[in-house]
Amino acid sequence: MSQAVLLVVAQTMVLLALSPFIVGLIRKVKARLQCRRGASVFQPYADLAKLFKKQPVVSTTTSWIFTATPYILFASTLAAGLLVPVFVSQTPLNFAGNIIALVYLLALGTFFLMLAGLDAGSAFGGMGSSREAIVASLTEPAAILSIFAIALTTGSTNLSTIVHKTALLQGIDTAPSPHLMALAALFIVTIAETGRVPVDNPATHLELTMIHEAMILEYSGRYLALVEWASGIRLLVFLTLIVNVFAPWGIATTLTPVAFGVGLGVYILKVAGMAVLIGVIESMFAKLRLFRVTDLLGVAFILALLGVLFFYILRG
Amino acid sequence: MLSHFGAQIVDLGSALLLLTCFAIVAQRRLSACVDLFALQSVFLAATAALVAFLTGIHHIYIAAALTIIIKVLVIPRILKKVIERLNVTRELVMNVNVPTGLLICGGLAMLAFFITQPLIPLGFQLTQGSLGIALAIVLIGFFTMIARKKAVTQVIGFLVMENGLFLGATASAYGMPLIVELGVFFDVLVGMLIVGIYAHRLQDAFDSVDTSQLTTLKE
Repeated sequence: MSQAVLLVVAQTMVLLALSPFIVGLIRKVKARLQCRRGASVFQPYADLAKLFKKQPVVSTTTSWIFTATPYILFASTLAAGLLVPVFVSQTPLNFAGNIIALVYLLALGTFFLMLAGLDAGSAFGGMGSSREAIVASLTEPAAILSIFAIALTTGSTNLSTIVHKTALLQGIDTAPSPHLMALAALFIVTIAETGRVPVDNPATHLELTMIHEAMILEYSGRYLALVEWASGIRLLVFLTLIVNVFAPWGIATTLTPVAFGVGLGVYILKVAGMAVLIGVIESMFAKLRLFRVTDLLGVAFILALLGVLFFYILRG
Repeated sequence: MLSHFGAQIVDLGSALLLLTCFAIVAQRRLSACVDLFALQSVFLAATAALVAFLTGIHHIYIAAALTIIIKVLVIPRILKKVIERLNVTRELVMNVNVPTGLLICGGLAMLAFFITQPLIPLGFQLTQGSLGIALAIVLIGFFTMIARKKAVTQVIGFLVMENGLFLGATASAYGMPLIVELGVFFDVLVGMLIVGIYAHRLQDAFDSVDTSQLTTLKE
């Protein structure tokens, strides 16, 4: 019992502490690729600290949804993070839910963020919410299907079981094709869900293009800090999902301090590698026009569908 | 163990072939479509060479080499020349838009898998998975010919169909007799040359390679 509590605390600390670093690292990589020196990778920590100290300004036209949303978003994203194996193949909230719960916990945060965008009654907030609704409704089937493709090959929807089996190479006798398709689909979903470049640009406040930034335009002070932190954790959760489901080697499969240390080190390296990859992708591609985003997400959906199909067709 | 592993790699090669099909359906830029077709042909040649290696049937090597020469080097070059001369880079209007097209192609792939399901236990162990994929590629190539309006992309659809047939022949019978393969390659090459000239004539007559313009001939 005490072990479980310890695991919850440890994983929460890792997620909270690491997420601003990942955001900072992506910014740094982009800056270096643009021949700028860029801010330190620890800048997001300072930003968050500053925002927490500032007084929030809340519009008089807003309802309780506006002030409740940052807390709901933060809590649901963190809870989703506790359903993913981070550096130990056992998840703290193993009893509470599987991979489907993970997707819908993240969707719950998105839903409230969309409501909050509409709540303030500003034109930009509504526009951002409407765009986010398009993106979210198209990524959800792709995310669920790609996850089913993985769940089929390991015979379980429990993330802990999936990661544990893959890490020990147990029962992985199926063809590599479903995994590859699911990986590609999940990567596109990650980019769309976390608002990275081909879909949304996190570094701009240009009215015509922003999606996520438009929704949170009315937030300030500690509310903004919570929303920013939650979106950092969300990014980290998706990256963790990708590295640990598709390449879990190095993760701690036993509960010993040595395995913990190795697992944590390997995990940070892998996630940092993914962050660098995302930074490179953001520098290489131009943002898609909003109406072309459906093409990209259509591709993600089809890839995930093919992953599921290949599982059945290549089983023989 | 080796044959099991080999079968997995053959499956993976076929899966990549199907993947490039979907990429062609989703791609609007004509030159990128040509590149994707060349990439698909590379995967096809690699898969065929692997089948040849694992079965020891030598004439598949020749077919694979011909695929590299004709479909990876010669045909993309001809198509690029045509695109350059016609001065068209993008296909903006299609008969079926991209997301719908992708969904239809997903349905076609499911249909192909469903149809070939009873045949799969009868096939060779090595290429069991490839037959359904080959049929899916043929259907998607056919769909591309229907969905697109530009002559160049219709040709790519035709070539994709041909790739699917080649994969199907390799999967179901470890390749056709060499003389048949040679005939098919020659046909494809000549067909390409004719289509190149046809696209030029179309451009000269209508100032566009949009084949839907051809109906105006009636007047």
